[in-house]
Amino acid sequence: MAAQALASAAHAEGGYATAFPFFGAERRGAPVLAFTRIDDKRIYRKTQVYEPDFVVVLDEGLLETVNVVEGLKDGGAVVVNSVRSPEEIDVGIDAKLATVDATSVALEVLKRPATNSSILGALSKATGIVSIESIEKGIMQVFGDRLGEKVGERNAKAARIAYDRTVVGESHGSRVLKASNKWLPDVRELPMGVAGISLDTDAGAVGPGSFLENKTGSWKVFHPEYDGEKCTMCNFCWFYCPEGCIYRKEDRMEFDMDYCKGCGICANECPAEAIKMVR
Amino acid sequence: MVSKICTGNYAAAYGSMRSRARTVAAYPITPQTFIVEHISEFINNGEMDCEYIEVESEHTAMSACVSASASGVRTFTATSSQGLALMHEILPIASGMRLPVVMAVVNRSIASPINIWVEHNDIMPERDSGWIQVFCDNNQEVQDMILQAYRIAEGKRVALPVAVCLDAFILSHTVEPVDLIEQDAADKYVPEFSPTGAILDPDDVAAVGVFTPPDYMMECRWQTDKAMRNAVEAIGEANEVFAKQFGRDHGGMIDPYMVDDAEAVLVTMGTASSTAHEVVDEMRAKGKKVGLVKLRFWRPYPSELLRAIAEKVKAVGVFDRAVSYGIGGPSYIEFRNAVFGLDLPVMNFIGGLGGRDVSLQDVRFMYEKLLEAARTGVVKRDITWMGTRGVEQ
Repeated sequence: MAAQALASAAHAEGGYATAFPFFGAERRGAPVLAFTRIDDKRIYRKTQVYEPDFVVVLDEGLLETVNVVEGLKDGGAVVVNSVRSPEEIDVGIDAKLATVDATSVALEVLKRPATNSSILGALSKATGIVSIESIEKGIMQVFGDRLGEKVGERNAKAARIAYDRTVVGESHGSRVLKASNKWLPDVRELPMGVAGISLDTDAGAVGPGSFLENKTGSWKVFHPEYDGEKCTMCNFCWFYCPEGCIYRKEDRMEFDMDYCKGCGICANECPAEAIKMVR
Repeated sequence: MVSKICTGNYAAAYGSMRSRARTVAAYPITPQTFIVEHISEFINNGEMDCEYIEVESEHTAMSACVSASASGVRTFTATSSQGLALMHEILPIASGMRLPVVMAVVNRSIASPINIWVEHNDIMPERDSGWIQVFCDNNQEVQDMILQAYRIAEGKRVALPVAVCLDAFILSHTVEPVDLIEQDAADKYVPEFSPTGAILDPDDVAAVGVFTPPDYMMECRWQTDKAMRNAVEAIGEANEVFAKQFGRDHGGMIDPYMVDDAEAVLVTMGTASSTAHEVVDEMRAKGKKVGLVKLRFWRPYPSELLRAIAEKVKAVGVFDRAVSYGIGGPSYIEFRNAVFGLDLPVMNFIGGLGGRDVSLQDVRFMYEKLLEAARTGVVKRDITWMGTRGVEQ
């Protein structure tokens, strides 16, 4: 929706814009990609984006697992949702970098950690590619149309606050992340035969992916805080956890933070209030 | 006219509303779902005066559309992939009964393996179902073609159903600026539906689509074949009138670009055409004589138009987002038939299957191969599986 709102903002300024998600299983919390192309004339290409001018990172945790600046054009800029200052962030290269604590803005204004509207304010401040007024219009059109005017207004407000709080600076990067060829994962890069049969075909070895590599725990904003004193070992949390990442031990419950997505169902179900969701 | 950023799915739903479709029966399937959701919203908001029939499958959806259309109302539906496959049995019934049903088909790969991304292999089995089929390459065209589809489909001359095809996600879920047509203008372009054949009317009882013995079957088939041939003229007229009224000329049967002095021409369907358009501009700027034919209508197939272009060029490539196993791309097979007897190098590029990206580099690769064939007159490899691991390029 952020990519669409950005396209809408650019269109409101008289430009031509297209926006699309990286088509797959999108859901809140999971790492997803979305793209926006902006030009002053009709855009013909229908390809994916390989060389972006700007990169927007909604979850700082991704910096640890994804080379977010891959393909970034010289002179491009990176916008990161972070409490840190731009100078403290290492994306692997020297680049113009802006940060804003979009999660806090979203929690203040929207009461939920949906950072996609706030981050657009930061993008506007960092790049000037579209004005904050157009961003507000774009958000009203996309969020407002779909979720109602009030929701649209709240999201536009979040963008404006994030715009005011954004810090623009420079990042000097040194760390090295493994490069992949394309946005599309290459089957040859997947771990082999962990969860099923691997096939040796003419096209090379084809194997299933593995959650051993894919730590979905990075999706969460809130995590469960467990109080062993209050726990009665009723096992409700273990029973209700949709991810199966609560384990029953002799005298306490154990939480697997590698896969806990922070849904909060355990805290909600716990009759003894032994689990609290904290940021 | 309002210019709005919207998805291909919205454009399709909006087009059906402005065409005043009176009955919609559809079953949701990724990536078509938003089309029926938007239509439900239009009806709920009172913007669209339409009977929405909730059904339990695509088989029933098409059956309901056939019945509704046979009772004399304008009907619309939408589907994708497995949904289209489930409709298969009813599709020739719609065309055989000469019902102008219009359907948006969001082209998605067909299982197995399961894949939700773009591929034309879902519609290819419906090639001979008697449906007129048009492929779009942008969201503006999607909206416009829904309106044109009714104009083409309705009336005695054609009276056949039309499938308006759009690539999964690349159009269905991508937003682009679209000039949304106002109701007055749409009404002027698509006049009120007046059925041309016998209709299901309790006051004037008739039976349609009934048991037909060998004595009549050949004639029925011949009439449908003739109707499909007549569609060529109707398609040209629908495009001309549309261009005059709205100022947008989508090209009719085909949309050639820079072919007049071209040495190498690529024939594409769907969104690959749009990407190829950019590559043609880029290569032309470097003095390379390349051209593009956007194959818009797949049925009826523009054999003569393509042959006329083929006679003037030195090599033709056909890009297929589908495969007929063991023989090649369906569009390639059709094209070779159209240019039968011509001494012309023809190459087939199969790519973009199951949502694999068709990049600018891919299109450049195809043109380079074609220019080489144009220069030498020799086709080194007739069928190329683009960027496929383990397959020689």
